[in-house]
Amino acid sequence: MSATTVTAEPLVPPEVVSAIFYGAAVSDTLVLLVAELVGGTPRITWGNEGATQLLGYGLDDLRSLPVTSLVPTLRGGEVRLLLRRERSVRMTLPVRTASGALVEAVVRCTPMPSGRTWTLRLVPADSESERALRATADAHEQRFATLTERSPVPTLLSEQGMRLAHVNDAFCSLVGLQAEQLLGTGWMATVHPDDLDDVIEQVVVVLGGGDGETKARLLRTDGIERTAVFRFSQLFTPGVGAGFVGTIEDITDRLAFEARLEHQANHDPLTGLPNRTLLAEHVAARFRPGSSGLACLFLDLDNFKVVNDSLGHAAGDELLVEVAARLRATVRPGDLVARFGGDEFVVVCQDVDEDDAVTLAQRIGAALAEPVRLGGVDVRSHASVGVTVQTAEHGAAEELIRDCHIAMYQAKAGGKGRITVLDQRARAEARDKLRLVAELREAIERREITLLYQPIFDTADGAPVAVESLARWHHPVRGAISPAVFVALAEESGLIGALGLLVLDETCRQLAEWDRVLGPAAPPRANVNVSALQLDEHLHGHVVAALERHGLPPSRLSIEITESALMKDPASAREVLMQLRGLGVSLAIDDFGTGYSSLAYLRHLPVDVLKVDRSFVAELADGHTEIASAVIALARSLELTTVAEGVETEEQAAQLAELGAGFLQGFNLAQPMTGHRTAAWYAAHAR
Amino acid sequence: MTVTFLPGAPVPTTLAAAPSFDLEAVLASIETMATQKPVAAQIVSIAGSDDTDARGLARVLGSDAALAGRVMKLANSAYFGMRGRVTSLQFAVTVVGFTTVRTMATVALTDLDDESRLPRDFWRMSTCVALGASTLAPRFGERPQDALCLGLLAPLGVALLHHNDEEGYAELSAAEPTAAGRRAAEVRRYGLHAYRLTAVALEHWGFPPSMVTPLGAVDDLGTEDGALLRAALEVAARLTVEDHEPVPVEELTGGQLRDDAVVPVLDRVRAEAEELRLALLD
Repeated sequence: MSATTVTAEPLVPPEVVSAIFYGAAVSDTLVLLVAELVGGTPRITWGNEGATQLLGYGLDDLRSLPVTSLVPTLRGGEVRLLLRRERSVRMTLPVRTASGALVEAVVRCTPMPSGRTWTLRLVPADSESERALRATADAHEQRFATLTERSPVPTLLSEQGMRLAHVNDAFCSLVGLQAEQLLGTGWMATVHPDDLDDVIEQVVVVLGGGDGETKARLLRTDGIERTAVFRFSQLFTPGVGAGFVGTIEDITDRLAFEARLEHQANHDPLTGLPNRTLLAEHVAARFRPGSSGLACLFLDLDNFKVVNDSLGHAAGDELLVEVAARLRATVRPGDLVARFGGDEFVVVCQDVDEDDAVTLAQRIGAALAEPVRLGGVDVRSHASVGVTVQTAEHGAAEELIRDCHIAMYQAKAGGKGRITVLDQRARAEARDKLRLVAELREAIERREITLLYQPIFDTADGAPVAVESLARWHHPVRGAISPAVFVALAEESGLIGALGLLVLDETCRQLAEWDRVLGPAAPPRANVNVSALQLDEHLHGHVVAALERHGLPPSRLSIEITESALMKDPASAREVLMQLRGLGVSLAIDDFGTGYSSLAYLRHLPVDVLKVDRSFVAELADGHTEIASAVIALARSLELTTVAEGVETEEQAAQLAELGAGFLQGFNLAQPMTGHRTAAWYAAHAR
Repeated sequence: MTVTFLPGAPVPTTLAAAPSFDLEAVLASIETMATQKPVAAQIVSIAGSDDTDARGLARVLGSDAALAGRVMKLANSAYFGMRGRVTSLQFAVTVVGFTTVRTMATVALTDLDDESRLPRDFWRMSTCVALGASTLAPRFGERPQDALCLGLLAPLGVALLHHNDEEGYAELSAAEPTAAGRRAAEVRRYGLHAYRLTAVALEHWGFPPSMVTPLGAVDDLGTEDGALLRAALEVAARLTVEDHEPVPVEELTGGQLRDDAVVPVLDRVRAEAEELRLALLD
């Protein structure tokens, strides 16, 4: 906008001046006018072809036209703003044409040195193409505005910082305010004060050119709080600055749904109490190794099965709900009550010592002992409670829960309705047992459980007719572990299935090997012990598979099942035995006489052999032949054979033969041997 | 080509009575200001260019510490809601916008930031006009930020007349309590009214027609161009001028705005004006 003073140019030849003037005069693209002061009034004194075309005046009409008529918006003395004496001026003005229409034009006015004459050059401000472009841009903006306005997605539009220039109806509805209340920075009041900083942070990122997203709460005018995700994108206008477009997704309902799902995942649907998952998280979140004050109480209802069996499952559920309610009402605020499973509950409390925990357990016991009316019957619940308070020895949160579980079992073992605090010895024993279980699992997996085989002899001719497989575990540190210990451990810890399969498979493998080595001299049959827990619908399949795997006929195998195992569920045991019998496997009842067999059941069981327990054989030495004699007689009357176990002396062997025992087995006759030694023994015996 | 057909529009054929004050000195002062404050002048010049980016504008702005400080202060003011997050000048320029930077440079260029040289309550009035215009802008299809700048700069002509004719302008103001009356008196004394003078100055500095046109049309109730500014001036007058006789905004805006819509605007402007004034000045 520098000032320009027009000066004469003496060096330009007259013909050049003429040429330029001619070009300017006839140009229809240039619009040129000359104004002069005539009698103190500025008037147009000349115009070129372009001027007459644009303004619609004839040249004569144009001459003497007052300048104020040409630029009517310069009222009063304002025409002096255009006709400056010493400076050229550029103004955008409406210019009036002969028809009275106004044409927006940039007017550039240059004074002559005299200060009384001016050259005016007019350039229409809008060209057709510019107008078309603007119309297109306006249409785009209008479409965008309409789209945004009617969009169901709450949308904000800022042209400067946090100041909104536009907000759509969906956002107004979301917060319950009118657009006028939200424009500028008004909308910021709808963002929860604790979340506003996060929103601003994201806007800062977006105004700097990035993308932003944050979760924030919105406060409606009706006091309801909504949670929303704000997504921001930069809105940059060249030459203006940066704002943002923000879209808001109301996720309140989704969050509520997710919260419900999470609650369902972590809570017991019947009682509404936290489940085991949440219990574990709760204890883990509060457990600090080496500290104290965290206590867990494990409760097991003593009479729940009775209620369920006698009053039905609905009454059982009702009892559980009532117990949950009483537990919640009895514990301190902040304590956690969880349903561990079935009729088991766990209470977790903080900042307590052992006395406090026991006191709480007593309070709980008293609360549960109040009668509950179930199906018209008053039921008094009692619980066995195991208590553990965190000590320096607890290395992890789950140990605390495990210890109170053990304590509960101890309480239960001591009689119902008791409270037991897990002491150091019990904890040490429990841990030792856990280690042993882990080692047993490894031993089974690595086939470190070995088998010994003890021959069984025919009483009539003394010939070895079979062997019994006996599992042995030689622990690398503890030495030999008694089968009585590790079989019971396997049954408790769910390893009995794997152990049983190992014994079955290894026995069959050994039989096949003996066949290869000894031919006809190989042991004709092997007896395999099966636990009560194996006595299910899978056993038949396992036996078939093992026999097939090693190419043996079923007659080579005898399954021994203890009397007590059979009597746990005689009906289903009979099913399984029938299947095995159908297969062609022979069946024996082990340790017969030590349990409480129903002779009626016994009669219906498809067994071939009764094994007389070693305790009755031992009694023979003291002259007590009654039981052994009775068992053998019973077997005979049921057309079963007998195997007498634990034969230690020649005398016992003779006595048992005399009593009519069919077969004998004992240390004195042949010790349990490895497979290899058994092969050698059989080979020698055959010679 | 924009053509507005006004059938029967009167065509003035004679000039009004000669004004009693030589405007030439005022116009000359507009042109000489740039040489006295070159950085502010440069910002006024480049901030209006489409080629200018925030980095370039911030670089020039950085050489005027006082102006840069004000832009930072404004960017972090409650008006923009950024709560102190604006820590760089480039970001501040982005937040407040180029037009605002240009407006602030214009304020510095014309010594509007020196309140001792201004009519009493000048900035109180200016900020109220600005916030009124900004708040009402969406109703008139205008951008709030541009309206804010227009409102801030609109009274520039008043300051220029005050600078150049302090006593005469004070007498004139005292004698004319109404805005329209004062503008008529300004035309009689100076040949144009203060807002027209602002328009001349802004046009001289290359401000876009969207900011210049409303200033020239402020007295022309028949056009929509000046409607927003008229409404903003009325809002400011109701808030700052004692014994102001309210003019119905329906009249001022050709029915675009009703008086009941002005009430919340008055509340908003009243609440924010002082803060904006403090953010713009020291």
